[in-house]
Amino acid sequence: MLDDKLIKALLLRTAARDEGSALAFEQLYKTCAPLLLGVAMRIVGRQELAEEIMHDSFTKIWTTAGRFDAFAHHPVAWICAIARNRAIDTLARHDVSRVQSYHDDALDDQDGALDRLFDWSETADESEDRRRASAWMRDCLGRLQGMERQCLILAYVQGLSHGELATHLGKPLGTVKSWVRRGIANLRQCLETCMGTAR
Amino acid sequence: MRIANHHLLDALCAEYLVGTLRGGARRRFETVLQDDPLVAPRLRHWEAMATPRYSKMIEVQPSAHLWQRLERELELSRYRQPWHKRAGFWKGWTSVATAALLILLVVVVRTPQSVAPPAVEIAKLSGAGGATQVSAQRARDGHKLVLKANRPVLAGPNQSYELWVIPGPGSAPVSLAVLGDLDVTITLTQKTARQLRVGATLAISTEPAGGSPTGQPTGAVILAGQVTS
Repeated sequence: MLDDKLIKALLLRTAARDEGSALAFEQLYKTCAPLLLGVAMRIVGRQELAEEIMHDSFTKIWTTAGRFDAFAHHPVAWICAIARNRAIDTLARHDVSRVQSYHDDALDDQDGALDRLFDWSETADESEDRRRASAWMRDCLGRLQGMERQCLILAYVQGLSHGELATHLGKPLGTVKSWVRRGIANLRQCLETCMGTAR
Repeated sequence: MRIANHHLLDALCAEYLVGTLRGGARRRFETVLQDDPLVAPRLRHWEAMATPRYSKMIEVQPSAHLWQRLERELELSRYRQPWHKRAGFWKGWTSVATAALLILLVVVVRTPQSVAPPAVEIAKLSGAGGATQVSAQRARDGHKLVLKANRPVLAGPNQSYELWVIPGPGSAPVSLAVLGDLDVTITLTQKTARQLRVGATLAISTEPAGGSPTGQPTGAVILAGQVTS
């Protein structure tokens, strides 16, 4: 699991634009590149596109590191979001035929997917808020109906759109949209209940 | 209409994070995200609450040339301290030179053999054809595994390589890394470092892009070799 404190320190040093910035950025790259390449690869499914996405993501991290809000953001989530957004934009621009070649039993195995694709373990340097949020998220995802959970995980990890979800699952588009909408609503309600309980 | 006041703002943030908000709707949301100061904090709230961390299984090792290209294009050399200006370089140089001299004297006097290399080969992986061979070397600190192929081997489109260790006879393979090529350095966890002992087998299989979907090898094993030291 990537260390948020380390990534935050490297981002701030990168943003400083001094003689230590290149070294900090290089360390940031070495630490995060395998994750960003993996995130992009899962979504676009093609190595050369995934490598372009990773390259563009690090270019964006270098140019926008100064805008990173050290107090408001979780840095690992921030850099992952850059790669995910870039990958989703790439899908819109390229004719990336993925559903046909897509056969990921790990995601279709609803019980196993949550623990294979995500890391729910606690780390010593993690904030109490982060630790609680992670536990709530694991619990709330586990409580969703099977198809709701599967749609959300497929969309998040594999970047499948509503239409691609419908094709992959062999269900009508309207049904899939309902699963996604209900899954999000139930997840949100569950998380808000957890937050309310914790207050 | 101010989107920040819209009762569906939370749902829009969630669909944006999940990735199902697409096309024009996604672009409009990103524009509002820039323009409306109330939207970004709401998105950040859900990002912090509902963004799970990916596991290491999802990682793919990039090729070395990708960093070199990035370094060149961003002109990073402008933000590196020249070696002769590095803090304490000259002071350090004096100490290092003195220490090196002392070490040299001790080595010459006590141990005539040469200094050990930084990594030692622990296994040689080969396949049926024998054209490709990969040397697996372990760094002396025990936490890095270096793969060196005798020729460039790159995964094709929709394909990845995956490195496995089979700790002993009858044991299930354990994934060490998903690879784009076979010249990489892998950081070992404490657990996998322990599993890389004499008698274990290292194997490389071909898998769908991003790695095995099941957590076990699903494609052909193209290279394998036993850990011998």
